[in-house]
Amino acid sequence: MSQRWVELRRREMASLLQPERVLYLVHGEKKIRSPLSQLYFCRYCSELRSLECVSHEVDSHYCPSCLENMPSAEAKLKKNRCANCFDCPCCMHTLSTRATNIPAPLPDDPTKTAMKKAYYLACGFCRWTSRDVGMADKSVASGGWQEPENPHTQRINKLIEYYQQLAQREKLERDRKKLARRRPFMPLAFSQHTIHVVEKYGLGTRLQRTRPGAPITSLAGLSLKEGEDQKEINIEPAQALDEVEPLPEDCYTRPINLPEGTTLRQRLLQPDFQPAGASQLHPKHKHLLIKRSLRCRKCEHNLSKPEFNPTSIKFKIQLVAVSYIPEVRIMSIPNLRFQKESQVLLTLTNPVENITHVTLVACEEGDPEDINSTAKVMVPIKELVLAGKDAAAEYDELAEPQDFQDDPDVVAFRKSNKIGFFIKVVPQREGLGDVTVSFKIRHDFRNLAAPIRPSEEGDASTEAIWLTHHVELNLGPLAP
Amino acid sequence: INEMSDKQSGQKSAKIAAGAVVCVESEIKGDVTIGARTVVHPKARIIAEAGPIIIGEGNLIEEQAVIINSYPENITPDSEGVEPKPMTIGVNNVFEVGCMSQALKIGDNNVIESKANLGRNVILTSGCIIGACCQVNTCEVIPENTVIYGSGCQRRVQTERPQPQTLQLDFLMKILPNYHHLKKTVKTTSGATPAKI
Repeated sequence: MSQRWVELRRREMASLLQPERVLYLVHGEKKIRSPLSQLYFCRYCSELRSLECVSHEVDSHYCPSCLENMPSAEAKLKKNRCANCFDCPCCMHTLSTRATNIPAPLPDDPTKTAMKKAYYLACGFCRWTSRDVGMADKSVASGGWQEPENPHTQRINKLIEYYQQLAQREKLERDRKKLARRRPFMPLAFSQHTIHVVEKYGLGTRLQRTRPGAPITSLAGLSLKEGEDQKEINIEPAQALDEVEPLPEDCYTRPINLPEGTTLRQRLLQPDFQPAGASQLHPKHKHLLIKRSLRCRKCEHNLSKPEFNPTSIKFKIQLVAVSYIPEVRIMSIPNLRFQKESQVLLTLTNPVENITHVTLVACEEGDPEDINSTAKVMVPIKELVLAGKDAAAEYDELAEPQDFQDDPDVVAFRKSNKIGFFIKVVPQREGLGDVTVSFKIRHDFRNLAAPIRPSEEGDASTEAIWLTHHVELNLGPLAP
Repeated sequence: INEMSDKQSGQKSAKIAAGAVVCVESEIKGDVTIGARTVVHPKARIIAEAGPIIIGEGNLIEEQAVIINSYPENITPDSEGVEPKPMTIGVNNVFEVGCMSQALKIGDNNVIESKANLGRNVILTSGCIIGACCQVNTCEVIPENTVIYGSGCQRRVQTERPQPQTLQLDFLMKILPNYHHLKKTVKTTSGATPAKI
């Protein structure tokens, strides 16, 4: 419930800037159009990357309520759950521990009673308490709460062991077959590290692809040395029963008591038990969240690497597109009428510190990237010059404003590293539907990540390369 | 209630029992009876338009809470045949900051959380908790120990009623007089006992 509210608020705030109206095209396996704020820029490949053309890796695990870091091995052991924090089984909020004073007999003298602290879990949102399901109050503040044991744990563990063994055996057989076809001097140990083997009962190829060269750990890392005797594990097959428990007689006639039953969501969050009655909902440990790092698939460089500390929101590496590519934003749209030319005011912001030259080019006829535009656009022909982003500009009173000699027909205003400029739009489609235009934006980019070569001619400046991006703008519906 | 006919003639002042702490900055209009050990914070509003309001003992009415006995929307104040209905509020209830209650009958030990809204036709029994920002406009009797929470006003039943806020009440009764002037208390007559539900 609270998650949905957060999502609605985020969308509301984002709608103030309306970033969804300006989309940049990303060339990857799929052509993806997305706002610049959601894209990354690989400065080694000099290309835009979206979330779908990077590989996501788990960086660290942490608990969202106690912000405790957990190493991955420990997280795997604890099934990605925090040891200290609990979730309310009713509303999935975080449970807090409350204390009451209860009179309890002293251990040495049973006739006298002293006030002892008793702790119970309570939810601040739906007022669920651990006493509702019959859990007794504990005498320690943390660590006293146990999750109920699953009656089927033993059988499940045995099944997992059996299938792990089976998977290992099958993998060995497959590798032996492959080796038989290979050249004989390939070392035997290398077969353990083949990454293109599809693991049965394992994790699947998608995760394996992101770790080239690393050994694969399938279900909980059983690694047997070659030649070691494998313990034979036998399982009894599951028995099918003919008779099923009959329904209770008043199943159709008993009136339903809604507060007594569990909702589907509450039930499915506890897959071990799936209780039908609210009095059997026990709290579960809180799920851990992960911090992920992103890696470009082509050059294997990191695009985004967060800090290790869960309390820090900063990044060690943050190659986001907004800090390298000039951003186009819509400032004002006049009334758009079918087949009438109107002027739309856009802004261009320069994120880097050196002067950037930007040229806009309208899309040609038959451009394969231009599939969504419903209007013709006339962009300024001249090159637009953007001043560098200067953080100290507001404090420097003596600096003279740079004189750029802007054409007033093209450039509406200029403010530090931002300019406003006009484009002419002629909507070509009548009726409902938004007016969309697209054009190409070509700008120079100085690659600071390139290795500095000792220059022969004494030219110290880094070379600029020209990048072209396809931009689509959504200008809203036609005026009625 | 028999005393209604006496009140109709125009006794419009609030009757505050001894032991109640009602700050001067609170707005009390109309025929309101407030029981002992009740704390009314500044900027709380208790408005008895369409009938008297009788508040029991040990209640906690926080800032910007509105308890209003108003005319139903389709009836104008001047139309005839409108009997003033009394609004009764039991003991040990908590009206948190910014809530609005128009319910005619409220029992004991209820908690109405911040910015909750109760319609006129709701009847709260005992031990109910109306969650923050929940609007309850239905025409029903809410069973005991019900908790209404969440944006969809989900409900569940808890096994024990919320504890009365005795510690908080004691603290407030000591601290509020240090910083606020209080309204004058009146010895309540024997007839003006809060209605037991």
